[in-house]
Amino acid sequence: MGNATTHCPYCALQCGMTLRTDSGLRVEPFDFPTNQGGLCQKGWSSAVVTSVADRLTRPLLRGAGRDLVPVSWEVALDHIAARIRDIQAEYGCDAIAVFGGGGLTNEKAYQLGKFARLALGTSKIDYNGRFCMSSAAAAANRAFGIDRGLPFPVTDLAGARAVLLIGSNPAETMPPFVRHLDAVRCRGGLLVIDPRRTRTAALTELGSGVHLAPRPGTDLALLLGLLHIVLARDALDRDYLAQRTSGFDEVAAIAVAWWPERVEQVCGVPVADLHRVADVLIAASPRAGGSGAYVLSGRGMEQSSHGTATVTAAINLALALGLPGRRGSRFGTLTGQGNGQGGREHGQKADQLPGYRHIEDPASRKHIAGVWGVKPHTLPGKGVPAVQLLDSLGRPGGPRALLVHGANPVVSAPDAEQVSRRLRGLDLLVVADVVPSETAQLAEVVLPVTQWAEEEGTMTTLEGRIVRRRKAVDAPGAAQSELWIWAELARRLGAPSVWPTEPAAVFDELARASAGGLADYSGVSHDALDKAQANNRGIYWPATESMLRFDLEQGDPADHLGTPRLFLDRFAHPDGRARAVVVTPREPADPVRREAPIHLITGRLLHHYQSGAQTRRVPELLEAAPAPIVELHPELARRHGITSGALVAITTARGTAYARARVSLDIRPDTVFMPFHWGGLGSANRLTAPTTDPTSGMPDFKLAAASIALVTTALPAQEVLA
Amino acid sequence: MTRLVVVGNGMVGARFTADLLAADVAGRYRVTQFGAESSQAYNRVLLSDVVSGTRDLGSIMMPQLAHARLETSLGSTVCEIDREDRVVVTADGRRTRYDQLVLATGAAARVPDLKGLGTAGEPPRGVRTLRTIDDARGLAAASMNSRSAVVLGAGVLGLEIAAGLARRGVPVTLVHPAPTMMERQLDEASAGVLADAVLGLRIGLRQGATASGIVADEDGIRQVVLSDGERLPCDLLVIAAGAIPSVALARRAGLVIDRGVVVTAGLASVNDPRIFAIGDCAQPPSGSLGLLAQGWSQARALVAHLTGTTVPADSVGTDDVVRLKAPGLDVVTMGICGTRRPDLPGHRALTVADSGAGRHIELVIHRGRLVGATCIGAGPIAAQLLTTYTQRTPLPLDPLALLLDRSAYDLGSAAREEPEDLCRCNSVTRARVLDAVATGAHTVDEIANQTRAGTGCGGCRDELERLLSRGDADAATVKSL
Repeated sequence: MGNATTHCPYCALQCGMTLRTDSGLRVEPFDFPTNQGGLCQKGWSSAVVTSVADRLTRPLLRGAGRDLVPVSWEVALDHIAARIRDIQAEYGCDAIAVFGGGGLTNEKAYQLGKFARLALGTSKIDYNGRFCMSSAAAAANRAFGIDRGLPFPVTDLAGARAVLLIGSNPAETMPPFVRHLDAVRCRGGLLVIDPRRTRTAALTELGSGVHLAPRPGTDLALLLGLLHIVLARDALDRDYLAQRTSGFDEVAAIAVAWWPERVEQVCGVPVADLHRVADVLIAASPRAGGSGAYVLSGRGMEQSSHGTATVTAAINLALALGLPGRRGSRFGTLTGQGNGQGGREHGQKADQLPGYRHIEDPASRKHIAGVWGVKPHTLPGKGVPAVQLLDSLGRPGGPRALLVHGANPVVSAPDAEQVSRRLRGLDLLVVADVVPSETAQLAEVVLPVTQWAEEEGTMTTLEGRIVRRRKAVDAPGAAQSELWIWAELARRLGAPSVWPTEPAAVFDELARASAGGLADYSGVSHDALDKAQANNRGIYWPATESMLRFDLEQGDPADHLGTPRLFLDRFAHPDGRARAVVVTPREPADPVRREAPIHLITGRLLHHYQSGAQTRRVPELLEAAPAPIVELHPELARRHGITSGALVAITTARGTAYARARVSLDIRPDTVFMPFHWGGLGSANRLTAPTTDPTSGMPDFKLAAASIALVTTALPAQEVLA
Repeated sequence: MTRLVVVGNGMVGARFTADLLAADVAGRYRVTQFGAESSQAYNRVLLSDVVSGTRDLGSIMMPQLAHARLETSLGSTVCEIDREDRVVVTADGRRTRYDQLVLATGAAARVPDLKGLGTAGEPPRGVRTLRTIDDARGLAAASMNSRSAVVLGAGVLGLEIAAGLARRGVPVTLVHPAPTMMERQLDEASAGVLADAVLGLRIGLRQGATASGIVADEDGIRQVVLSDGERLPCDLLVIAAGAIPSVALARRAGLVIDRGVVVTAGLASVNDPRIFAIGDCAQPPSGSLGLLAQGWSQARALVAHLTGTTVPADSVGTDDVVRLKAPGLDVVTMGICGTRRPDLPGHRALTVADSGAGRHIELVIHRGRLVGATCIGAGPIAAQLLTTYTQRTPLPLDPLALLLDRSAYDLGSAAREEPEDLCRCNSVTRARVLDAVATGAHTVDEIANQTRAGTGCGGCRDELERLLSRGDADAATVKSL
């Protein structure tokens, strides 16, 4: 192995990095457009994860003594195959469920979907992206006909006069992204909506923009209020609306009922501040002759049982100003997980086939069945979304077994205690991971797998840019790629079709399967990407075979860029128009009340990633953020006798979690914030509700009614809270 | 199929019908809705913004609902209810049967008895009220040519109109019969602060003064005559002396009327269970506040009752919040406040009287919750108090803290001293950077190479530049301090 140019294992910005192997594995930033040479501490320290002390290096099987003991691959895979056969013989194909992850490479995400449908014959597959991008995806599909998080290169943001970030904290979650906001901050145009004064919100200060801190759960009303002001100022882009959209009149009519003074009462945002934000947006919009405005959504507004509607409200605002589908202006969403974009396109979703196809569409089934060499009717139908899937485990009629790949739902799913109980009730739990995550520790079989620096593949960035992941070192011990594991299991289960284990070969099959779909990768291959890589930029989907052929015949194949900007001529609905859809605010599923009088919101810290399984094992990250915290306002703290560092208990209708207090003026006095990177007693998701969005299946991660108390008695397992 | 007739297509009537048809998934109701105005529904709350010129008429039109089970007749006045045959009769003689009837006829402007105004027929030119979209259109047009206006009544609407006309540059005098303005919401002290703000807008003020008559000629109004004899010259008089529930139709039908149509807690007429009343025309047991939020919650409650469903609240807001939308005047009241504040034991009032700064804030606290507040000139504090009040969230131990913004805090012992990293993205302390400089890093990139500082969001690179420009020796000195 030698040095390799690749991308960070963590978030969807997919920062470019060079892996050096001269003295152990070492990371250096690489000047890729998404990170412009930057890396955060997670990226810098990512090499550590390849060699953490408890790295999984051998398959583990729970023996008679109930301990996990090392076994050979042969034993582990034979055991899994036999158990699957037995369970399916008794309960049917759907008795085996699969839970995937948004961190898996495109090749793995594709192959996992295929494995579920062909080798297991199950409809019961979904993935942790349901907890991440599902609301934004549902809203974008409905409005534009395609869901590509940012339908433009992130570097376009440099030209903006205004950027509205709603419920997103990139300064903490993808720090190098902030470089793309430098220009708009100089123009005073950074607009941030967040109940907390986050690091991102603080970037608006000193004349760089405006921060609005609404009461949690009221984003939709706030967005209707902004739309109302746009209407009242007669700042609608009427030509754009007439030529490129449908349904806007009904939306405008609803917004009339959300005048600023009403919005102030609901959201707690001063009328004057609403006007300030609207002013900046209007002045930046193309109709007013501005240099462009962007509306960008994040998990803060999306992760609720009203998430799809809230994103739709943001899209409606963008449509009113004529932003989507225009060069220099846009609507977009900031995808979270490393392959959160590619992972949601190729079949991990319960209702999806590769290429962002719908599993119930006969033409899609026929095409995919053709690629896979099976009859269309043998493909299972639509499954159920993640929360419902996890809740059905082990229940009568529900799955008896679960295979988990690239996810840690014991920490990341809502109402996590209940999820643990469901997993414990299974006949078989198989977890493939690089470390013994909280979920792996409950498994009957644990499979050690390769990770980023140890494998080839592709990822798709938050902009729909397909980039290459490259191998620098061999995986330790007996760790294997999931591609090999699924091929081995497919063979044992007598599955049809072919099961290549080389990532380039799997990608070629993915490309064929995606051909003609919304997310069309058919003009892409590892080879093509390696050429593009020389030009340092990846390829944007849709990148069809005919586009590649044109580049090969007529131009320089190294110029093969795919589609950097979507929708410039038309949106992806049959009539070419973007759809404005009427949405109205709603009271939260779990409103504050006397016994639970404060809002609980959850989110991330700079030094950890998702369930923390990787980052909590990196000493320098753990030193920077050693334990769960609860952020609260000094007045709320004083009321409960809490000082910074004190152990506090947060209780909701689901349960109680414990964490150290961090007293801060950066949060509203009616709200507490808890990061979700820890399991056990410090797990924020012990508190969150499994109520889900009717359209997207997204649970209510971002809003719960809670009470807070100072812990004065000794706590079991207090040591986990440091 | 139940035949439901709704009389009134205003904000409450239109909202009721939209909610009903949405909730009635079983399709049990067929609705006929009559609107006396020929215009589609509009946002009445925003009429004063049209007067002030901060928005145009087009932007306040509400959606005209289209639905297979809805028939809407606009410009169609219902003039009779035949309760025996269960029929409503419109002015054109059309008869429409109902199984259930909802009255949402709203209210009309109250016009006091003024000498010279006449009791029948058209008032003199220049005398106006503000209740309908036609009123707003006419008033906005009249303000273009007005050289002097009088507004009668310094309640919410009167203040909004007066401030709106002042914004348009019309000299305005505000005449108010009570000794202080907005007396339903404000006590004497807070009203005094508001009066100062009104005067600051160059609006003339006559409080405790009743208009007794007007003088008009063929061109229209010339003067308003006050009961103390003072004569206010004007070419425009806007009467904002409150509203009267529009109950003539209900009264003719023999329904029990007091101020409004007397209804039960379930919003049914006390003497005809087939007839309901909501909004400004209704008089529920708890009393009518004349506020939109109350009408909307009544509409929601009635839909829930009729369809047997729960209609999800859409954060309408709380019934008893009053917020002035008058350019230049900052007034918010909520809950138990001002003159409505009883001196009950256990109710604690915390007042900031700061008339010199045009500010007056009063918080009313009961059992650890904010149950009411008055905010004059309070700025963004009012927005925070609104959510504290509507959500009943916990108060600080000392409620005075509700009036402070973040700059007022010294976190002191409450917060643990955490050394702030110079580069937070990479947890690099200032000391670590100075170390690097001392050991030979001469550029930002060299610092980055040694420490990773500046390689995340890039936000600290300016600080690194500054640090370097002070020179290595200085940096080393700083370090030794």
